[in-house]
Amino acid sequence: MASRILLVEDDERIRASMRLSLEDEGYEIAEAATGEDALESHARALVSEPFDLLVVDIMLPGMDGFACCRELRRSSAVPIIMVTARTDTHDIVAGLEAGADDYVTKPFEPKELAARIRALLRRARAGEEGPVALTFGDLEIQPEAGVVRRDGEEVHLTRTEFLLLCELAANTGKVLSREQLLERVWSYDYFGDGRLVDVHIRRLRTKIELDPSEPRHVITVRGLGYKLAP
Amino acid sequence: MSGTGLLRRVHVRPKERDQSARAPRLERPRPATRPSEPRLHQRRHVGLRARITITFALGAAILSGTIAAITYFSVRSSIVTQQTTSLYREAVASAEVLRPELQLPVAAWPHLLEGASAGAREAILFRKHNWYATSPFPAPPAPLSRALRATVLSGTPASETILVRSHPTYVVGVPIPAANSAYFALFSMSEVAGTLHVLLASLLLAAVVVTLAGALLGSWAASRALRPLHEAAEAALDIASGHLDTRLETDDYADLAVLTSAFNSMADRLQDRIEREVSFTSDVNHELRSPLTTLAASLSVLEGRAEELPERSQRALALLGAEVRRFRRLVDELLEISRIDAGLSDVSMAEVPLGDLVRRSVSAGFGSVPVEFVGESAERYVSVDKRRFERILANLLQNADNYAGGATRVRVETAGRLARVAVEDEGPGIPLEERQRIFDRFSRGASGRRRGLGEGTGLGLAIATEHARILGGRVYVEENEPRGARFVVEIPLLKEAAQ
Repeated sequence: MASRILLVEDDERIRASMRLSLEDEGYEIAEAATGEDALESHARALVSEPFDLLVVDIMLPGMDGFACCRELRRSSAVPIIMVTARTDTHDIVAGLEAGADDYVTKPFEPKELAARIRALLRRARAGEEGPVALTFGDLEIQPEAGVVRRDGEEVHLTRTEFLLLCELAANTGKVLSREQLLERVWSYDYFGDGRLVDVHIRRLRTKIELDPSEPRHVITVRGLGYKLAP
Repeated sequence: MSGTGLLRRVHVRPKERDQSARAPRLERPRPATRPSEPRLHQRRHVGLRARITITFALGAAILSGTIAAITYFSVRSSIVTQQTTSLYREAVASAEVLRPELQLPVAAWPHLLEGASAGAREAILFRKHNWYATSPFPAPPAPLSRALRATVLSGTPASETILVRSHPTYVVGVPIPAANSAYFALFSMSEVAGTLHVLLASLLLAAVVVTLAGALLGSWAASRALRPLHEAAEAALDIASGHLDTRLETDDYADLAVLTSAFNSMADRLQDRIEREVSFTSDVNHELRSPLTTLAASLSVLEGRAEELPERSQRALALLGAEVRRFRRLVDELLEISRIDAGLSDVSMAEVPLGDLVRRSVSAGFGSVPVEFVGESAERYVSVDKRRFERILANLLQNADNYAGGATRVRVETAGRLARVAVEDEGPGIPLEERQRIFDRFSRGASGRRRGLGEGTGLGLAIATEHARILGGRVYVEENEPRGARFVVEIPLLKEAAQ
């Protein structure tokens, strides 16, 4: 069955052309012109057939893409790709912090967006191998069930955060570089954007660490990368 | 007054803009080391300061020296006049006492002499071709000058100041014609000389102290007077290094208020202008990117269904596709270069082995070009922004593709603290006179123009230059052996491997 994608973009022509090219890639597309519309469609779709992925433009009239992402993240772990017209650090980091899993910069090649979507959807379905449960101090990870518990209480992670944690857990004690994580979690090549890793690590820490400013599980190894400590 | 200076650098809040989402941000990493201008400025500053200090010290020295000289000479003349007048009178009085005795035919002259000359250190008497003295040494009339003797013996009283056994001595000669005699009294002036010495020493000391005080005052005044200048220069450098919100502030002195208001209005205008430019760039950015996104997406739909189109339409589509891609690259590069110009482009440095970096950069777009490492160069580390480096190499390889039939080899070597990555081709080469100019924006070499190739945007080499500059290196071109051109990216090596 085709994956369902919600396209949130205020420019009608961009929306129409993206719809055409993504439909050619075999996806089922729904459209929203504003952030408010997007939230409504998303909520409505939850009862019948939830979206598999959202593509959200940052510059929207009214509620902007950042606010839209944040609002979605309050209740949903649905994969989100942010579309930005700028390559400024600020917008990209702000978008990732608002909860986006990945981003593309306008004008993007449709192939590029399709590749990002494929990688993200593959990730969303992944996680069927490996041990049943891993325990790190107060942290319990069940890769297969897609569940993380801290002190027995379930922690809600997005798919990307969860995979990042699993990747670190599968290599306990070993340092994984940004490049390795980009490749394994996001399927980026050598030139991927290291900020994706940094921001997601930050978000992951706020959820699984007791004190995110003094992380005990997800440790930064200066100049090398990150590792998971029991 | 607080010692922090009369001027302060402050930062103003960025102006609120209606499109907050698109408000330009001017973030530029503060350079770790300042460019060379401040050092030049520093030197000039010290020079001026030294000059003011020297002027003050010189003024103080001339003033205090003059006062000391006037004081010394007037005091000396008054003391000496006073002293000699009274001594002269004393000598005349002594002569008066001696006169009746001298008229006697025989007497104990030396004895008499001593009695009459109680105030003098020594006395000498001349009577009828004989000399008598209270002190035998030096034998009279030795201490007396010939001129004095002659004057006095000819009947005129006279005085002189001489050195007797290296003591300053005041000599008064009084003729006593009635007894055919002359009386000479020698008074010690040592005490007066000592007093004058002390006076001179004190005055000189005072002059030196005043000169030093003048120098200190001068240096203080100079640093005080120049501090606002220094502060203004620092503020200007701050602005030059991208902190456009820097302003000057003062709370005293009207003359500084003129400087601050002039400086601040200049900074206001500059900031306004740059922000407007950046905001324009950002607007252009947005306005161009939206239609390009639509173009690219629609084009991909058409290209995906090209075989459904008639042959003529397919050919038109191919042209359209090539031009859209070129247009996209042009917009990308224009925006890239304007972002670099505005200091908006962000740098994310990472320490990576050169081998990995070059191999990955080449294989990202031009995988067929062989890469060769000289010596251990592949294992050395560099601190770079990987994506920028990739862009540099991609632009050089693209350039070789456009104008020289493609790169033949990428050769990596190290030289001292530098890594050199050379993109070699066997095309027509670049004539000497064009080797600078081809790095200018929109300037294509003669071969590029002659061939009239439509692929290049004319910005690739300019952007490569800018990226290399940001990475602390440069790009240049030289001759390739046996023919063609060799574009070299030079970036600094890290001293040691990161691990």
